[in-house]
Amino acid sequence: MSSTTPRCNTQASYIQLSNISQSFTLNDAKVTLFEQLNLTIRQGQSYAIMGPSGAGKSSLLMLMSGLEQPSSGQGVYVKDDVKESHESSLEALRSDIGFIFQQFHLLPELTALNNVALPLKLRGDKEAISKAKLMLKKVGLQDRINHNPNELSGGEQQRVAIARALVFEPRYIFADEPTGNLDENSARDIANILLSCCKDSNAALIMVTHSQVLANKAEHIFNLTHDGLTQIKGHNAKIEQLEAACR
Amino acid sequence: MSIASRALLENTKLAWQFYRQEYHLPQQRLLRWTQAILLIFMLALTQSSFSVQQYLTQNLQGLLGADAQISQRQPFTNQQVNDLSEQVKELVATQQIKINFSHQESRQYISLKAVADSYPLQGELLTATSLTGNTELSLTGPKQGEIWFDSRLFASFSLEVGDIIHIAKQEFVFTKLIKHEPDRLMEGHNVAMRAMINIADMAKLNFSENLINYRYLLALDSTQLSSLQDWQQQHLPAAQLVHKQGNHPLALFWQRTENFIGLASIILFFMAAIAIEQISLKHQSKEQYFSAVCMSLGASKGTGIVVSILKWCFSLTLLLPIALLVSAACHWLIIHYLTASFPNLQWQWHYGLSLKTLTFVSVIFALFYLPVWYSLLNSSVGKLFTSAKSTTSNLGQKLVTVAVLVIVVLAYSDNVLLTMMLVGAMLVTILLILLLSWLVLTIGEKLTQNLSGLLPFVFFMMKQRLVSKSTQILGVGLSAFLLLFTLMLMHDLGKTMSSYQRQHDGNLMVSKATNDQLSYLKNWASENNISIRQNKSYLQAKLIEINEKSLAEHTDKPSDSLATFSREIRMHWNDQLPSNNRLLSGTWWQADTDNWQQISVEQEVLTDMGLKLDDALTFIISGQRYTFTIAASHEFKPGNGSITFWIQMPTAALAHIHANHYSMASLEISELQQPLLAELWQKFPTLRMVSLQQMTERYDNLLAMITKVISGFSMLIILLAGIVILASINAVEANEQKKNSIIMSFGFNRTTCLKLNIIEWLITAMIAACGAILGTYLAGLLIYKSQFSLNYQPDFVWLFVTLFIILTSVTSLGIIASRKSLNSSIRQLMAE
Repeated sequence: MSSTTPRCNTQASYIQLSNISQSFTLNDAKVTLFEQLNLTIRQGQSYAIMGPSGAGKSSLLMLMSGLEQPSSGQGVYVKDDVKESHESSLEALRSDIGFIFQQFHLLPELTALNNVALPLKLRGDKEAISKAKLMLKKVGLQDRINHNPNELSGGEQQRVAIARALVFEPRYIFADEPTGNLDENSARDIANILLSCCKDSNAALIMVTHSQVLANKAEHIFNLTHDGLTQIKGHNAKIEQLEAACR
Repeated sequence: MSIASRALLENTKLAWQFYRQEYHLPQQRLLRWTQAILLIFMLALTQSSFSVQQYLTQNLQGLLGADAQISQRQPFTNQQVNDLSEQVKELVATQQIKINFSHQESRQYISLKAVADSYPLQGELLTATSLTGNTELSLTGPKQGEIWFDSRLFASFSLEVGDIIHIAKQEFVFTKLIKHEPDRLMEGHNVAMRAMINIADMAKLNFSENLINYRYLLALDSTQLSSLQDWQQQHLPAAQLVHKQGNHPLALFWQRTENFIGLASIILFFMAAIAIEQISLKHQSKEQYFSAVCMSLGASKGTGIVVSILKWCFSLTLLLPIALLVSAACHWLIIHYLTASFPNLQWQWHYGLSLKTLTFVSVIFALFYLPVWYSLLNSSVGKLFTSAKSTTSNLGQKLVTVAVLVIVVLAYSDNVLLTMMLVGAMLVTILLILLLSWLVLTIGEKLTQNLSGLLPFVFFMMKQRLVSKSTQILGVGLSAFLLLFTLMLMHDLGKTMSSYQRQHDGNLMVSKATNDQLSYLKNWASENNISIRQNKSYLQAKLIEINEKSLAEHTDKPSDSLATFSREIRMHWNDQLPSNNRLLSGTWWQADTDNWQQISVEQEVLTDMGLKLDDALTFIISGQRYTFTIAASHEFKPGNGSITFWIQMPTAALAHIHANHYSMASLEISELQQPLLAELWQKFPTLRMVSLQQMTERYDNLLAMITKVISGFSMLIILLAGIVILASINAVEANEQKKNSIIMSFGFNRTTCLKLNIIEWLITAMIAACGAILGTYLAGLLIYKSQFSLNYQPDFVWLFVTLFIILTSVTSLGIIASRKSLNSSIRQLMAE
């Protein structure tokens, strides 16, 4: 089942993970990352997932984005448009997601402008360049549009990456350690830009981070450990209960 | 143990360990394949080439049977023989004639040699009395009334010593088997069966004088040679003089072959260079990374370089046993095939030469790999923090590689002109491909800007990545160009060979009949209800001068025409353009023309020899000089009979030229009428006839050999082209994988990435194809005429079909080989 309505970010949609478990086999031994985990992600809100290395934060991100399948449990994507709501599997999320990485992963041969225009070009958007310019202006890089990634600082590269992830107006942005490679000042700038841009675009921001400073800026904070997912911060009154289930 | 040697030992251990670890990596595998192919090719080639050269030298020294030989079609006058004998220490007369020999039910076209009693002059005449019997040294040739046969003739006629043989109603006794004649060299690569008689018997056979080739074997010292040459130029300009200091008669044939082989090696070198260049892109970043890690752990910069060089040495050394074995086998096969042209050529491994070749090829490999080691000089620990994985191409480095390659090839190649032409064509192709890449991608991007779909995106991406994309397109384009050019050259050489086998209008060709023979033949044909399809007269002429310059002075380029002009050719006369000829330039003479000293020359000969209208050609006809002016050029027009002549003159010339007239004729003989031929042969043993079956058999054998060579060489080129493509994909695999992951992070799936990949490969293939076609056309124009004496008439249908096949394969291979880069995921991006 999938949506047939055109993209409209003013409508709310959400991702729901129910009783999700993830494990894999390594050298004939079964390694369990997490079990029986429940989580709901709402469009327009920001989430931070913290926790020690190896707890499965990135795997959780992959599951939420529908790019990997859980070992057990179910994930659904509920998309509300003007008239009705559609429920579909997480694979239907594909066209509504964007990613931001710790290493930025800009294409080195392309200028900042062309890097940002890339997803729009792929979608056949004839106004790709003007939209990309606008987006770069939004992240404060209007003067660096014709620079190649290697001519930009780490913070600037991450701003280009943010612009690239948001330019095609996805409903969900998944960010993996978006400030992990940046100094304190740049990290603070990037965090502000990231959150404000997502807010402006009504996109959900799901960040995996070790930075408490960054996490504190999110509306919801979760801590993922081997014992499960614990919510540290969140507005539970407005939405249904977000639970973290232990093993 | 000193510190230095301990360090070297440690480095060697480390290099060995890394060599083992990296053994199965794709780029290492590709490098091994490239090096192995080139090693095998070069080893087999130099060994075979050297064997042939050695054979030709020994052949000249050992098979001339004299210090010099002089021969011509007419008998030497007494005065000429006296003059000759005064100038040399000793001379022995021999005569050769081709006859149809029949015995009992069998018949065979053979070469009959008559020798004087003082034969042999030099060398050994070896004979036997049975095929398996002991070989004896004979001090003289056959006595009068005796005939000797070579082993093949002996075997095919089931003869026995003592048998009585009849030739032209003369009786001979078969007494000995010829095992070796010391003067066989002049037979060239003629492998006709042979018989030998005494020269006194030749006179009794009453063959027409002008059918006999008269040859004198001469013993002289080197001081006498130049005066002999002067005398020959002055008194016997149409005669052929061969001496030990001169070129082998097969040298021209071999020179063309060597030109081709030279070109083949250059092409292979270029392909290997492209492949190694593409492979080294990947190696470079890996080695730089390793070197930087070593340095971060306290090692010196030299350690990384030493380990890399040692690793490279391991890779090459371990390749040698296989390369040597396979090349020895290839060398054996080549020698086996060449024995058709060079009888008794033996397989032999030349150790010194193989060492030289190995050193040479290794140095070249090292030069190709030099940029990688050079880059290690620039590696630093800092690279670990910045772009250690960057594979951005360095144009300067590429140019250095090309320059090194050109110098190496120029130094190696003994045909600088050919090399320069190929290098020139390649450089133009490179420029063309670069220009085309820029044009197609720029225009493509502009034109598709307002379209939706994946195509505009691909154009956009390719344009943005112009530099790295151009490298890949260049690699593919150059491979396609080299492959296409090689295939085209082979195709055209093959076609030229088979075009000799022009359409027949009869299944039996009489190539030389005297007037008596022809009138008998006509009667015999009408009596037996056999149709003579065509019948054309000619006289024999030997071209000696072009615009008052000797042939040697006029041109030194080997060609079929030049080789043919070193012997007598057939000169036809007529008043009208023959119905199977087409006039290409000039004007054909009128029937009543007074100007009898004009000729028409076949266009191919004209081009081959670099002749033009109004050039003056001087011929010796029946011992007299005649000069003609070229008034027209013609070419063969199929459909009206196959007998055509290179040189034609007005009928009016006959009134001024006194020479024997011969005829060529074609006949159609049914299976049932075949036995009637025996009567003809008995009556006229010297009537030259060749059946269609015999003709086609000869060409079929030749074509089969060429096909084998073509297939073998094409396989090598195709293999290398495949490696180049795989290497060019491998070089950018990491980038492609990352690109696909990023595209997927924009919310697209793998199918989109696959589609993008296909479109990208199609555009790459299209640009490469256009560059390859233009490059091939240019190379054809430059090289064909000058190096292979072929007229370049590009067969565009063939070119495009071949190119289409190549590019379909390239695109498919590209898509299949890039599937690994499609196997990317967003998780990989996260993990980095």
